[in-house]
Amino acid sequence: MQLVEKIIKGERAAIAKAITLVESSRENDKNESRKLISELLNKPGKSIRVGFSGPPGVGKSTFIESFGRYLVEKNYKLGILAIDPSSQITGGSILGDKTRMIEISKNPNTFIRSTPSRGSLGGISVGTREASIILDAAGYDFIFIETVGVGQSETMATNLVDIFSLIVGPGSGDELQGIKKGITEYADIFIVNKNDGDLKSEASKTASDYKSAISYYKKSNDTADKEVLLVSAIEQTGMEKVIETIQNIVSQNKKNKNFDERRAKQFTYWIEEEVREIIQFNIQKKIKEDGSISQLSQKVMDGKIQMFEAIEAITQNLQNK
Amino acid sequence: MKTKNSDNYTKWQKSFERETKIDLNEASSETDEGIEIKPVYTKADIENLSFVDNDSLPGQLPYTRGPKASMYTNRPWTIRQYAGFSTAEESNDFYKKNLKSGQKGLSVAFDLPTHRGYDSDDDLVMGDVGKAGVAIDTVEDMKILFNDIPLDQMSVSMTMNGAVLPVLSSFIVAGEEQNVNKNLLSGTIQNDILKEFMVRNTYIYPPDPSMKIVADIIEFTSKEMPKFNSISISGYHMQEAGADNVLELAYTLADGMEYVRAALSKGLDIDDFAPRLSFFFAIGTDFFMEIAKLRAARTLWYKIMKDFGAKNEKSLILRTHCQTSGVSLTEKDPYNNIIRTSYEALSAILGGTQSLHTNSFDEAIALPTDESARIARNTQLILQNETGVTNTVDPLAGSYFIESLTDELSKKAWEVIEEIESLGGMTKAVKAGVPKLKIEESATKKQAKVDSGSRVVVGVNKFKNPKEPKVDVRVIDNNRVRDDQIKKINDIKASRDQKAVDESLAKLVTAAKEDSNLLARSIDAIKNRATVGEVSKALEQVYGRHFATSLSVSGVYGKHFEGDEDFMNVTKKVNIFEEENGRRPRVLVVKMGQDGHDRGAKIVATSFADMGFDVDMGPLFQSPKDVAKDAIENDVHAIGVSTLAAGHKTLVPELMKSLKEIDPKSKIIVFVGGVIPEQDYNFLYENNISAIFGPGSNIIESAEKVIDLISDKIHEHN
Repeated sequence: MQLVEKIIKGERAAIAKAITLVESSRENDKNESRKLISELLNKPGKSIRVGFSGPPGVGKSTFIESFGRYLVEKNYKLGILAIDPSSQITGGSILGDKTRMIEISKNPNTFIRSTPSRGSLGGISVGTREASIILDAAGYDFIFIETVGVGQSETMATNLVDIFSLIVGPGSGDELQGIKKGITEYADIFIVNKNDGDLKSEASKTASDYKSAISYYKKSNDTADKEVLLVSAIEQTGMEKVIETIQNIVSQNKKNKNFDERRAKQFTYWIEEEVREIIQFNIQKKIKEDGSISQLSQKVMDGKIQMFEAIEAITQNLQNK
Repeated sequence: MKTKNSDNYTKWQKSFERETKIDLNEASSETDEGIEIKPVYTKADIENLSFVDNDSLPGQLPYTRGPKASMYTNRPWTIRQYAGFSTAEESNDFYKKNLKSGQKGLSVAFDLPTHRGYDSDDDLVMGDVGKAGVAIDTVEDMKILFNDIPLDQMSVSMTMNGAVLPVLSSFIVAGEEQNVNKNLLSGTIQNDILKEFMVRNTYIYPPDPSMKIVADIIEFTSKEMPKFNSISISGYHMQEAGADNVLELAYTLADGMEYVRAALSKGLDIDDFAPRLSFFFAIGTDFFMEIAKLRAARTLWYKIMKDFGAKNEKSLILRTHCQTSGVSLTEKDPYNNIIRTSYEALSAILGGTQSLHTNSFDEAIALPTDESARIARNTQLILQNETGVTNTVDPLAGSYFIESLTDELSKKAWEVIEEIESLGGMTKAVKAGVPKLKIEESATKKQAKVDSGSRVVVGVNKFKNPKEPKVDVRVIDNNRVRDDQIKKINDIKASRDQKAVDESLAKLVTAAKEDSNLLARSIDAIKNRATVGEVSKALEQVYGRHFATSLSVSGVYGKHFEGDEDFMNVTKKVNIFEEENGRRPRVLVVKMGQDGHDRGAKIVATSFADMGFDVDMGPLFQSPKDVAKDAIENDVHAIGVSTLAAGHKTLVPELMKSLKEIDPKSKIIVFVGGVIPEQDYNFLYENNISAIFGPGSNIIESAEKVIDLISDKIHEHN
């Protein structure tokens, strides 16, 4: 397949077209997409996938711009998948993330793709996982996946990334109570942004709130410690600590096999999900063709048979097809 | 209590309802500001007013009726036409011609590179030099600009906010080298940075250091330049960006309050600087509303300044310049613009402005020609000399309608001012992006009203001219201007004392770090022939360059079209497209070069999204190369380029080239919208542009055309 070669060569347009393919809702494209991903999985790169999530207004994109600038200056290649939540009633969306990633979007060592979330998987878009495989094969050192909202922590952490970080703003410690469990469980790194100007003292207070919150979390010997970091995206401070922490966690997790285990789990989950999707698709097709549901439910309404008999009959019917 | 009045009113109401067959309660209309306009006003409407004092006279507090007792009966308003283009030599010629023909004051338009603090030889600005104003790189350009114009006699207004330090310095040094001391210079520097963050985007530094610069200028001029207005607090650009009159009025005054506080923080006494604060409003087509706005502005400013503790009467009085609305001008049937401008000018006069710019009818398309500039100027000369409007001060005072409207507008604006104050003042509000978003929402509503036909624009959505007239426009060869400027910069750099330049720039940097007055230091650097770009970059080392984050409204446009057939038609096409292609049509909307007017781009983005498109917004000030990278990475179907500053002839071909460089087989189509003279259409089509949408284009029709073009392109390749 020619597309695979072009992706591996890092051709920008080919990478972009491949991502379109894996995001497509067209049946033909889905088959093509599966073929493409199978081939790419045989040629894995060395990317580290880092997830960034956090409530609106904490400066996620600004942080990524700032941290990203730091990384590309160090000659890393950086792929960014930004899931934009601004879906509207009509289904269209405004993808504005790049207005906050001005400098890195110009850099030849970045690839930045925005995707409308369409409300699927609680903010993770269809094809995000596949897109990260494409960027991995294309030779990007880091792949950042950015979503909005703390609600996606679990999905993102367990399905998509090697490291999951939560970006929060000064003063968010108060909200911690309500979301503590999810956070302490899934996030590897807590990044307290806006550690600048008037907000500095508030930011360090928030950091210590988080530190004490994660101290309750039961440490196990073989996982890397969770970290709380203070940064200022605007002043570009604290960035070296972020990359250091990421690298530490990766190397520690690699040493104790946690890294591979996590990826293996994600892979299993993915297979399960795909199987589920295919079966569901097939069943739906059968249900459409079969037509016995409406007949039998009428019989139930008319009091001719019991509801459970009808369900039994329909499932039998579908399984025999 | 039964009075003769109420008897009369009952009688009138009956007649009204009989004639119109409409219940009086339902006969009111509502303005963009949400103000109810009744079919008739009576004495009852001007009893118990909150802000207006019915017994006050012109020149008396709260100054609703005018800043002076005699107003135009003594001296008419100043005809002050805003102009500038190309090189200093050409602009100087143009100014001298205008002054000979009856214009009284000068108002300088600078090009975008100058605004943004770039020299003409900077790679970032290749499409913008000399386009939307005159290019000024050094004090030598400034001297040429005022050649044979004695600066001790001519009042000069300068629209400059971003690069305000080097440009004001150049003006001061140009004066000095004409042997005019700075204390004799009269005029105004716009120096209003807050509205740049809201709408116009020609800022350089982040909000906090930008406010420091504003305060430095107020401090310096209050001590050294007693005849010079240190700031022109401007609502103009807000209305141009789509703000209604309440937003324009309230945000402008809230900006004013913030500047007062900035100056006070320098330890100045309020009466030392407040008399030199001036204002600048837009006058649109809502005739009575605009009159009321100027009267309300003076009324509210009086209250504000009194609350600040000002004692000098001059501190309490709002003086303003006005300009007729550029956004009300249409590309279609352009001679209608002469008529629109005339009514707007009359509004400004009846509202009591101190000076006025009337737009040329061709300004929706290009910079004015000598001929169109003459018609614009004559609009004011006729008002002054033929109509008798100068004979009576505030002739509409006592009108039940005008007084009630003035009060109503004041009340509404005051609520908005209080809202901003509750956020901690305008600097904080601007950082949070609140006013920008409110203005965009208002702009989108206005656009939807025009596109849906609920607002009539003659010659655009109704009464169209079957035979559109051809209009000749002024053409700027920006490559030639750029070459000229680069040569001048090189000559100066070769002949100046480089050591003196470096030293004065280093002192400027130190001043910025030490927080001392920057204007004094930048005057030294400019005197030594440092360039505008060098001064700006020196400060950038300390402050950084500001990049705006951009929020978007959604759903505002679509709401106006519930059930609208054309609108539904487009959304249906979008849905079919999605089924066929596995995704929605995806469009990248961008601005390129230094043109920061993003109202059009924002409206297109939000309305296309409301119709079901996926719309990528590019950051401001992108190069064609950046745009191409963005478009290809996001695999968009189309790029929409919004251009209002005439850079399209350079930037669009450059974009096409960059697309092909990254992807030789690129199928991305490119369309262009904004201010594009018809003369350029062929040039653009030859460069493979798929569609051009001029001002006043209906957005629904444009969206339909775009989706059709995208579909054609896809089929052509399958």
